[in-house]
Amino acid sequence: MFWKRTATGSQEYSESIINTIREPLIALDQDLRVVSVSRSFYEVFKAKPEETVGQLIYDLGNKQWDIPKLRELLETILPQETTFDNYEVEHNFTTIGRRIMLLNARQIQRVLGKERIILLAIEDITERREIEHGLEKTRKELEVIKKSADEASEFAESVINTVREPLISLDQDLRVVAVSRSFYEFFQVKPEETVGQLIYDLGNKQWDIPKLRELLETILPQKTTFDNYEVEHDFATIGRRIMLLNARQIQRGLGKERIILLAIEDITERREIENGLEKTRKELAVIKKSADEASELAESIINTVREPLISLDQDLRVVAVSRSFYEFFQVKPEETVGQLIYDLGNKQWDIPKLRELLETILPQKTTFDNYEVEHDFATIGRRIMLLNARQIQRGLGKERIILLAIEDITERREIENGLEKAHEELKELAAELKRASRAKSEFLANMSHELRTPLNSINGFSEVLYDETFGPLNEKQKKYVNNVLTSGKHLLLLINQILDMAKVEAGKMKLSLSSLPMRSLLNEISLLVEDTVSKKKIEMSLEIAEDLPNIEVDELKVKEIIYNLLSNAVKFTPDGGKIGMRAKKARSEIEVVVWDTGVGIAPENMEKIFEGFFRVDTPYSRVTEGTGLGLPLSKKLVELHGGKFSVESKGLNRGTSVRFTLPIVSGKVV
Amino acid sequence: MGKKALVIDDNKNNLLLEKDLLEVAGFEVFEADNAADGIAIAKRENPDIILMDVRLPDMRGTDAARILRGDKETSDIPIVFVTSSVMAEGIEEIKDIPNSGFIGKPINTRTFVKQISQFIK
Repeated sequence: MFWKRTATGSQEYSESIINTIREPLIALDQDLRVVSVSRSFYEVFKAKPEETVGQLIYDLGNKQWDIPKLRELLETILPQETTFDNYEVEHNFTTIGRRIMLLNARQIQRVLGKERIILLAIEDITERREIEHGLEKTRKELEVIKKSADEASEFAESVINTVREPLISLDQDLRVVAVSRSFYEFFQVKPEETVGQLIYDLGNKQWDIPKLRELLETILPQKTTFDNYEVEHDFATIGRRIMLLNARQIQRGLGKERIILLAIEDITERREIENGLEKTRKELAVIKKSADEASELAESIINTVREPLISLDQDLRVVAVSRSFYEFFQVKPEETVGQLIYDLGNKQWDIPKLRELLETILPQKTTFDNYEVEHDFATIGRRIMLLNARQIQRGLGKERIILLAIEDITERREIENGLEKAHEELKELAAELKRASRAKSEFLANMSHELRTPLNSINGFSEVLYDETFGPLNEKQKKYVNNVLTSGKHLLLLINQILDMAKVEAGKMKLSLSSLPMRSLLNEISLLVEDTVSKKKIEMSLEIAEDLPNIEVDELKVKEIIYNLLSNAVKFTPDGGKIGMRAKKARSEIEVVVWDTGVGIAPENMEKIFEGFFRVDTPYSRVTEGTGLGLPLSKKLVELHGGKFSVESKGLNRGTSVRFTLPIVSGKVV
Repeated sequence: MGKKALVIDDNKNNLLLEKDLLEVAGFEVFEADNAADGIAIAKRENPDIILMDVRLPDMRGTDAARILRGDKETSDIPIVFVTSSVMAEGIEEIKDIPNSGFIGKPINTRTFVKQISQFIK
């Protein structure tokens, strides 16, 4: 071998190196012909010594080494430089495929003055390059990761400083490493009072909470984390608060010391809200319970109300009906449930108006009230129904049902119509009555006026004649003119009594009250009939109590009453009969009785005597002057005073007794 | 000297009756059957008393009375309404005429002049 022929110690050593190193090595002479190759060369390039030594390098292995870059290195660079390092050649070798080769060359002189040889080391860096590329890629990825780690760290920092939740980091001695901005704000402490301090000493030892000690000293070393520990504490700066504590024990960087990250959340308000929520929930439960009860109640109402009720599904098929529905429309459950409403009871419900309501109005409005439907039902005849409907949802998300209430208002409508008619008639009647009343008043006033005007002449001139003011009359003339005068006066009395009756009946009669001595008043009036009494030889007896008090009455009216009754007694009592008057105090009233033994009143006439113009048809009454208004007018005047008036008679020709009372003190306002 | 009386009434019979009663009692009587004539006579004759019906053909007796009250020459002459309107409305109507009286028809011929004389000063 080449090395053996030029053997020296260093050369041998060199040879052993050449044959030991895995890197292929080739020695060329100045003509670039192979002098020798290392063992690894043969292995790497799968060449044999006999095909290699003495060959031009470019011709090696089927000329696979004829690479432009190699030619450039060996023929241009090396003669000038005598050395080149780490020239990379990428080439597609026929035997081993595409490879990246790293070429190093030395041009050396073998022994003094001898020819030069070129030592070419060929390193296949294909795999290395691949690894390097992978490494580069990894490095870049690493850089990205590092960058994002930095960003994450920055982000974390900014999160820490952004979150409102106070955050504190402690070292393993529980001294503050750092706190978030919000911590300072929340607990009203300053950085210089905080960092490096023992957590328990923070803010005037307000953090020295037994529960916190337990968490940090007992739980955290064992578990490295704790979540949602609730601490209620009275803080010096911010008062009683409920804090939610979360902690993590973490390692910052490999091999570095551990730190504790403690997040403090003030849940005081939240707890209050939660408590409120809980309360609300409980109230809701109560409401739900009452809603359930209400639902039960509703069910029982449906079955209790007399008004027929029917519930339909959205296809208008009957879901259920109330008991009263069956009764009212004379249908049976088996004919009803599941049926289309229009088909019920021999299609008697197929009413255009109902179709309109259920199909048009209800879908739009979900409710309708008081729709009136008049229809001739097969089972119950022509009826007016009042329909009310609600489209409701039974439970959340469930299907809708239609609740239809049917009220038969046929009778009610009839009554209402009747009532309305009656009301209108009544109104008309009232107006008519008012008009009539006014007309009557006007009529009476006119009548009174028109009758008095001629009566003024009749009575006036006959009085002047009778008094013989303008010359004497003979006996007959005087008697006749007196008849005219008497009749005139009778007519005047009649007019006055009619007017009084009308006034009392119209409620227009007014009393002018004064205090009167009743006893003397009764005596006074009795004198007025004395003439007639003596003429008719009638016996009159007066029984007037001595102690009669003064009485509060309208003087003229009371005189009129007593005169009417006494003159009636005289008129209706035959010659030789008896009349009388009794008066006494009875509690708060004075009671007066005027009696006679005269014609009396037949039971069948008892009512008629108060009707006016009624006079008992007797031989005596025929010839007697009278208006027939005295008794009814007296009764009305007594009643106007607040007294009572009654007439008794045992029958025809058995006398009459009239009893009346007057209150001593009038209840009437003057 | 006899006193002067003016009687205003559209009913000739009543006018005559009152005139007779007054003349018998010595009055000098002036007559008018409507308000306008009555007012003219009242101003001309300045009577001691005026007897006035309420329903007159040309106006209400009360309106005539107000005209007389509004005139200086006649404002002090007493007026007695002799009227058939004896119901409340009639009496109400004459209530607010000052220096006036009321006698309802039919009159009482025996007391008439005496009643009238009470209103003369």
